[in-house]
Amino acid sequence: MANTVIGSSIVVDGEITGEEPLTILGTVKGKISVAQSLAVEAGATVEADVEAQTVTVSGRLTGNVVARERLELKPESKMVGDAKSPRIVIADGAGFKGNVDMDV
Amino acid sequence: MADKETVIGPETQISGEVRGEEDLIVRGRIDGKVHLTQTLTVEKGATLQADVDVRHLVVSGTLVGTIVASESAKLTSTARVVGDLASPRVIMDAGAAYRGRVDMGDIAAARAAVGSRAVQRPAASEKPAIRPAPPRMATPARAVIAGKTAAPAAVAAAAARPMAAVSGTPAFASPPAFPRVAGAMGAMTPAWAKKKIRRR
Repeated sequence: MANTVIGSSIVVDGEITGEEPLTILGTVKGKISVAQSLAVEAGATVEADVEAQTVTVSGRLTGNVVARERLELKPESKMVGDAKSPRIVIADGAGFKGNVDMDV
Repeated sequence: MADKETVIGPETQISGEVRGEEDLIVRGRIDGKVHLTQTLTVEKGATLQADVDVRHLVVSGTLVGTIVASESAKLTSTARVVGDLASPRVIMDAGAAYRGRVDMGDIAAARAAVGSRAVQRPAASEKPAIRPAPPRMATPARAVIAGKTAAPAAVAAAAARPMAAVSGTPAFASPPAFPRVAGAMGAMTPAWAKKKIRRR
């Protein structure tokens, strides 16, 4: 268990940076910059600009996202903001509003 | 994904505020503020540079900041802690390093002061925490300068007054304000000077 987990009742207001996988079940406002994967789980709220290797959204994300490898919006997820990633997966049922940039 | 505990991993830093109603384990770093209704665990190797307001606190790592633990605070043998600590139960294991003031009494007052860090006298802790502190810190230095310059300023103002009367209203309006400000500062000086001496 070397990962970082932000639990469902936790609110972080500020900046999170890290070199390990980050899982968010609670609320994060500000900025997120991680070298590995970021998971925004169902029920989580993220209002932040995000930079990560892979981003998986099952909850609610507001902000611009840069995923160096892959961005995935799961069913039931909601995302508002610009998405920049070479691979973007939007599942059936996901909500998304913003620009998509796949570097084409 | 079942109920996961909140963990800040060893390679993760948070700068800002963390609030919550569950246990928090820190293995990495937090700069800012931590406000929990449950237990905060600062593990060995972790660094917290934050004002902390929690129910239970267990420190095995490094913690710098003003600490309020409403039920208990435990410093294990590997703890390195700097900052005032307010908690009804304080446990310090042999080997723990700590510098600061321990208060096992008035937790509410200490909690009110967490944001301001200025608890010099009882009157200070009764006021709302955040606002009164900055002027308090700033006044002594300014008061000393004002006290030194008060007399020359008054002389200069007195000298300027006849000229101002001649030259007209705008110039006349500004000089009287100068000695008044200097006078107010000067009047505060003895109290602060006394305080400073008493504190030392």
